[in-house]
Amino acid sequence: MFDYDVLIIGAGLAGMRAALSAHQRGADVAVMSKVHPVRSHSNAAQGGVNAALTDRGDQWEEHAFDTVKGSDYLGDQDAIEVMCREAGQEIISLEHMGVIFNRDESGRLGTRAFGGQRQARTFFVADFTGQAMLHVLYEQIMKAGVHVYDEWFVTSLIIEDGECAGAVAMEIRSGKLHVIRAKAVIIAAGGLGRVYEPSTNALICTGDGISLAYRVGAPLMDMEMVQYHPTTLKGSGVLITEGARGEGAYLLNAKGERFMERYAPNMMELASRDVVSRSEQTELNEGRGIDGCVLLDCRHLGEKVIKERLLQIMEIAADFADIDIMKQPIPIRPGMHYQMGGIKTDVNGATPIPGLYAAGECACVSVHGGNRLGANSLLDTVIFGRRSGEAAAERAHQVSHRNVVDSYSLRDEETIKSLLSREGNGDSVAHIRLEMGKAMDQHLGVFRNSEGMETALNQIEQLKERYRKVPVQDKGKVFNTDLIFALELGFMLDCAEAIVVSALERKESRGAQSRLDYPKRDDANWLKHTLLTKTDGGHKIGYLPVVFTQWPPTERKY
Amino acid sequence: MTLQTTLRVSRFNPEEQRSYWQEYTLDVEPQYTVLDALIKIREYEDGSLGLRCSCRSSICGSCAIRINGHATLACKTKLRSLASGGRHVTVEPLGNLPIIKDLVVDMTSHWNKVMAVKPWLQPQGPEPEHEYIAPNETMLHLAGVMSCIMCGACVGDCTVLQVDPNFLGPAALAKAYRFVGDPRDAAGKERLKALNRYGGIWDCTRCYECVQACPKGVAPMERIMALRDKAIEVGFDNTYGARHTIAFGEILEHAGRLDELRLPIKTFGMFNFIQMLQLLPVGLRALMRGKMPPVFHKPIPKAENVRRIFKKMESKR
Amino acid sequence: MKYAFFPGCVSRGGCPELYPAALEVSKRLGIELEEMVGASCTGAGVLQEKNQKLGDTLNARNFALAEKAGLPIMTICSTCQGVMSQAYKRLQDEGPAYLAEINSVLAEEGLEYKGTSEAKHLLWIIVEDVGIEKLRALVVRPLKGLKVAPFYGCYIVRPTKSLDFEEHPERQTSLETVIDALGAEVVDFPGKTRCCGFPILTINERNSVSMVANHTSDAKSLGADAMVTPCPLCHLNLDGYQPKASAMRHTKIDLPILHLPQLVGLAIGLDPKALGLSRHIIPTTRILSKIAVPA
Repeated sequence: MFDYDVLIIGAGLAGMRAALSAHQRGADVAVMSKVHPVRSHSNAAQGGVNAALTDRGDQWEEHAFDTVKGSDYLGDQDAIEVMCREAGQEIISLEHMGVIFNRDESGRLGTRAFGGQRQARTFFVADFTGQAMLHVLYEQIMKAGVHVYDEWFVTSLIIEDGECAGAVAMEIRSGKLHVIRAKAVIIAAGGLGRVYEPSTNALICTGDGISLAYRVGAPLMDMEMVQYHPTTLKGSGVLITEGARGEGAYLLNAKGERFMERYAPNMMELASRDVVSRSEQTELNEGRGIDGCVLLDCRHLGEKVIKERLLQIMEIAADFADIDIMKQPIPIRPGMHYQMGGIKTDVNGATPIPGLYAAGECACVSVHGGNRLGANSLLDTVIFGRRSGEAAAERAHQVSHRNVVDSYSLRDEETIKSLLSREGNGDSVAHIRLEMGKAMDQHLGVFRNSEGMETALNQIEQLKERYRKVPVQDKGKVFNTDLIFALELGFMLDCAEAIVVSALERKESRGAQSRLDYPKRDDANWLKHTLLTKTDGGHKIGYLPVVFTQWPPTERKY
Repeated sequence: MTLQTTLRVSRFNPEEQRSYWQEYTLDVEPQYTVLDALIKIREYEDGSLGLRCSCRSSICGSCAIRINGHATLACKTKLRSLASGGRHVTVEPLGNLPIIKDLVVDMTSHWNKVMAVKPWLQPQGPEPEHEYIAPNETMLHLAGVMSCIMCGACVGDCTVLQVDPNFLGPAALAKAYRFVGDPRDAAGKERLKALNRYGGIWDCTRCYECVQACPKGVAPMERIMALRDKAIEVGFDNTYGARHTIAFGEILEHAGRLDELRLPIKTFGMFNFIQMLQLLPVGLRALMRGKMPPVFHKPIPKAENVRRIFKKMESKR
Repeated sequence: MKYAFFPGCVSRGGCPELYPAALEVSKRLGIELEEMVGASCTGAGVLQEKNQKLGDTLNARNFALAEKAGLPIMTICSTCQGVMSQAYKRLQDEGPAYLAEINSVLAEEGLEYKGTSEAKHLLWIIVEDVGIEKLRALVVRPLKGLKVAPFYGCYIVRPTKSLDFEEHPERQTSLETVIDALGAEVVDFPGKTRCCGFPILTINERNSVSMVANHTSDAKSLGADAMVTPCPLCHLNLDGYQPKASAMRHTKIDLPILHLPQLVGLAIGLDPKALGLSRHIIPTTRILSKIAVPA
């Protein structure tokens, strides 16, 4: 058994930022991740990170309003205020830590335009901002001497007297289970993209953290809000940054029209993501696509801009679609990208379970509401990662360890033993995941209706039934990824069900949820969060009011 | 149109400590990468195949392996380009690192070496209220180095690591360069001093394996060369490596071509008897075969033109 | 088929036996050579560590000298080939201002590089210009039964983007092609495209000699009778330091290392002495007797 003040599950931006701040507050911190920290999916954030810096003539209130409007008024305005107010200082801190941001002519941090915002306030490192930040945070936790357990897979959380007291985890290299006792646990395990097929997300984004928390009774909020990114590459579904449109790229349909004129005449390609994805899907549904795609045209941006600012995109298009973006438009389509909902927390990352915190994509504070603005996710990770680290360290100073013993791992050992003992029955984890992913994409994508969602729900129930019997081929102990996938599928099925149930519950169209059977936003009945909690027999749905501070809901136009 | 392809995969079963080759033949789509094929195998054919992978878009650095003998990212390598004419594609774990299982290697030494270069910014004095002011060009250049995803492909193909595990290796040295080249970092000289030792910048053999292997265009070897130059520039000019580089330039400037007798003498120092004695057997053997370079080394005709070019281009630096 | 001949420093210095072999073989293959007078060393990558532009200027000067004679350059050194290829690529890609700056320095001795003349290794010339059929036809003493391991030398195989491998995929296997055409058997081994260790010889001799030991003993254990390399530097290290490598491994490795023209020369009937085969550190007598040639 290991003892730590603060155990952080996940070593992406939120997790490492939390580790750093908890460490700075004097806590003994461990970070645990199923991959090495620099393999985390924060890497994939390309475009940048938003902040309104007053010395650039920008105001945090402006940023906050754009975020509120982007959220379709479902974001909690107190949380949004916190995030946007603290953004500037956080960017400067990151720069001081060593992040190499692109500069302007005077050598100060430069910005680019991003969707849904009236100011160019996105700070960036070419088109690999996430990677540049992630590696610097890893440098910082190395410098701080934070304990890193990489390639450890958390199988469950430990709850003692209603408080979170640690976790059970498997060292992937040996297959051994261990109990880690902690005075506070922060879940920063990222998103759930693999619940959908296709998705821009990495193979590791399997909703582990969301499910871990849900299983011990933490409520999930706004799980129906799943973002489809407007520009994912044909075929592989790899992400093409919004930064391309920020730099001025056009969206064209089969007729060569800049179709955004019809949907968002002011902001055009830079309307918020839900709006652009819906517009693209409408073009496709009405027959103005090419082979299931519309086109992203970068040709007029010129070689200098492309090579300085969109180099990765150039490589991705060449590697994965044989496209030379200087000469050809890129075939793209909307694709599942981000989960706005997640583990419900307050602005300090605290969940309703004492000792359990969450930050980053797996959490729902909520700052993104019904639709996240591009370049607000990196900001979310560092702001609420830092705050949750501080809060967890504070708690660790005040409480003592619960009485936890090594035998806490026995239940998970049994689960694993039973998984490994199953005989082949023709079914596989991969088949179940693929069927789940396709059902989710088909019925819980850009446009939804109750009939489709009921179908998906039925399918998920059947898949859960099959999951109970699914065999694991690899019987070994060392680095058994086959076993890991089976455990992950269990997490994903929880998430899939939570998404469908919440989406069926919300009988309106708002943000990323666009229901053909309830096509209008309904502020009178639905200006509230959905809250899903696991119960002994299943789950229960509840609601929470949206917090308003200074921006009353109005019609949303771009 | 699908095509049939065969992957010959190097396997290692840690429980039985058994190494073997396994062939998988499968139908793939024309745009498939090696990773797509490996995932397909793992998901639908053989769940016991061990490999790391995650992002599928060459940013996470998990899937560095050896394909047809060379280190690269599996997700960045199209099968089509390899499997033409029914050739098998061989897939092995990265070199120079211990194997844990199948294609999964133990990267501990890699991470330790990265750690050894103190890979964090060390500014001096109080932090400014706002950001550090730095030229965009410098930062763009550094971003090109920072785009290293630590996949370890360069480490896996490094020729020096093959014979000397003590070498810091291309990834860690490129990481070191990223700080030495950062105008915000104040520890440059200290860093260079540490890199000037055995296992550091002078042990690179300039073989270009890392440049070829790097999937992100970081060109680690070129960063190592830049570190050598900076080390000499700040006064660390008394290692064999530095003296070799300096002597090479001096001889070339004087004569227009190499003088193999004077180069080691200048490198080791005229009165470094121990090193000179060690050269003796090699020299004697060569002499006996009539293999010695001319003792009276003749400059190329019109060597003054070369001297002039040296003068001009060195003054431009 | 006429080339400006760039022999490189080592074949004129530390391994003088390589030079006449290259001249004679070229003649027999129908390659007319005009030796470059006043050409300088390429910088070998060492100079480029310190000052790349200086290196590019020296190479542009060599190119301009050949261009003045209206000839492409032939080299018999992998390192020279690689360094010149890289310089050539940079002079093409860095834009007109870069070339103009370099040309302004060359102008002082009345030279200008227009970007036409390029360097090509004898190995590539044999495969691409002489033609492998012609080579086969010239073989009078097939190296039947001789097992030969190829050893390329780094700079003729990496980085591929400056070596036009996309346009000339045959270059990647050119050495095997030649060995095969001469009637010998190719011994494939993983070290064939790796580093011989020469560049760190004076810096870290132990590592350098370890590389020699690895490559020569690997090839030997796979049955090779000899190793052939298109690079005099590799030749120098693999041959000259093999006794030290043997001492390091406490075994006599004893693998003769031939420079490319020497192997070709043997097969097309040239006298081993004239090819300098008696001047190697590792004796070549055993391979000569294997193909029934008096030493």
